[in-house]
Amino acid sequence: MKRRNFINYFLGGSLVGTIIAFLYPIISFILPTKQTEAVIKKITAAKLGELAPNMSKIFKFGTSPGILINTPDGELRAFSAICTHLTCTIIYESDTGTILCPCHNGRFDLSGNVVSGPPPAPLESYNVEISGDDIIVSKKA
Amino acid sequence: MILAIFISHHALFAQRNSCIECHQELEDELLAPVETFQLDIHQQFGLSCVDCHGGNASEEDMDLAKDESFKGIPKRSQIPDFCASCHSDSSYMRHYNPSLRVDQLAIYWTSEHGQLFKKKDTRVAVCTDCHGTHGIQAATHPKSWTFPWNIPQTCSRCHSDKEYMKGYKIPTNQWEEYKESVHAHALFEKKDLSAPVCNDCHGNHGASPPEVTSIAYVCHQCHPSAGELFSQSPHKKAYDEMGISECEACHGNHKILPPSDEMLGTGERAVCIQCHEPDSEPYQIASRIKEKLDEFIEKIRHAENLLERADRQGVEVSEPKFRLTEANTALIFVRNLTHSFSLVEIEEKIEEGEKIVVEVTEAGENALREARFRKTGLIIATLFIFLLAIALFLKIKQIDRKTST
Repeated sequence: MKRRNFINYFLGGSLVGTIIAFLYPIISFILPTKQTEAVIKKITAAKLGELAPNMSKIFKFGTSPGILINTPDGELRAFSAICTHLTCTIIYESDTGTILCPCHNGRFDLSGNVVSGPPPAPLESYNVEISGDDIIVSKKA
Repeated sequence: MILAIFISHHALFAQRNSCIECHQELEDELLAPVETFQLDIHQQFGLSCVDCHGGNASEEDMDLAKDESFKGIPKRSQIPDFCASCHSDSSYMRHYNPSLRVDQLAIYWTSEHGQLFKKKDTRVAVCTDCHGTHGIQAATHPKSWTFPWNIPQTCSRCHSDKEYMKGYKIPTNQWEEYKESVHAHALFEKKDLSAPVCNDCHGNHGASPPEVTSIAYVCHQCHPSAGELFSQSPHKKAYDEMGISECEACHGNHKILPPSDEMLGTGERAVCIQCHEPDSEPYQIASRIKEKLDEFIEKIRHAENLLERADRQGVEVSEPKFRLTEANTALIFVRNLTHSFSLVEIEEKIEEGEKIVVEVTEAGENALREARFRKTGLIIATLFIFLLAIALFLKIKQIDRKTST
């Protein structure tokens, strides 16, 4: 192969490569494939002092609801707010001090264990820690 | 030295169990008790053969071992009292398990089995039929015959045996039907030990078929809200007057299939049409409930679809997705609310849910609009870059030509 031909092939190949490298991300953006949702492991659920004792807050954990409860004793606890029966969002019932699923009256204690009703499993519990003014909730390893 | 020999000989003598020594030399059913008793809960608590069968196990000679206290194998007609001699004695049982109930025999006499047993029918279940004999395990042990996932088979040993059950005039297909149920699926597939098995509905020591009027109370134990809604509905009175068993009328008994929306309304698989005539008001209400529910589901699915498309195109939609969980909660709530058969209440709840769906749908449409805008912008920018590249190429050519001329 002559030196000039080699340079032409080399340049041509490089040009095609550059065009592909340029077009690929554009095509991927225009015709996207299904992506897996990013898993969020830690979130600021509330500010310190935001919840009085015996109060709760539903917070957004990724795209799912979580529940942060300040127990009557002032202890912060957090769980997935998705009922293990049929995935309804659960609520904290302050007059009974238990967690209730309003859809089928499934009830959980403040450790997430099933007390009554149809839920087949306990609620997923999360770690709670305080960092400055923030209440940080994270998934257990 | 002599004392040590005496003590060790005495210890050996005291520990001797001539029942085991002899029976382990035997075969088949005479050997079986020795093998299975190793795993028996009674053995684990330090009880031995003589505690149930009497006799003197320290005697090597069989005739001496079978002294006046020897009871041998109890007759089938003696078994309930035989087991109860310890299990109904609270002061005795307290030594081993203070929380264990001691009223099993009293409850047994109230059961269908116990009632027939009193009438000299010894073919009915007694303690050993459900608990075994020498390999008895605590009900919490997964290998126990009375552990949740073993109970259906324990009961079906008799209840699925057509020949054995001949004469009792009850069906023998309960196990076959149960296997197809949502409860069996939860128990065997999902390993959900809270799923009901035979004894959860029929009782264990007091096993009896629940009566028509009490079936709802039985289901209510695990499904309290559906039971409450039904009890407050007009159906309660009508069912009671007609003697229709409540939950069972629509959901069945042993073969309780997963509930579906097709059970509602007036379609082919709807349960409402079992009783309600096409021209009747309840028929129209049933039809309307299904219609509203279908519309609501359709709207949720549409919103979900929008969010999924937007998400796939790289637009951040976690907030509307989070909101959509509330709409799904409303949907599940409404499905349960159908046990009230109240169109007004159902419509109210659907309206609440639909407000959320409208918000989410709008957010989804905005997200897709944003995605379209981004794409269009990118296509236009790309075109301009290409045009620029071509123009530059032509310009260079032109400059080259000028230079060469």
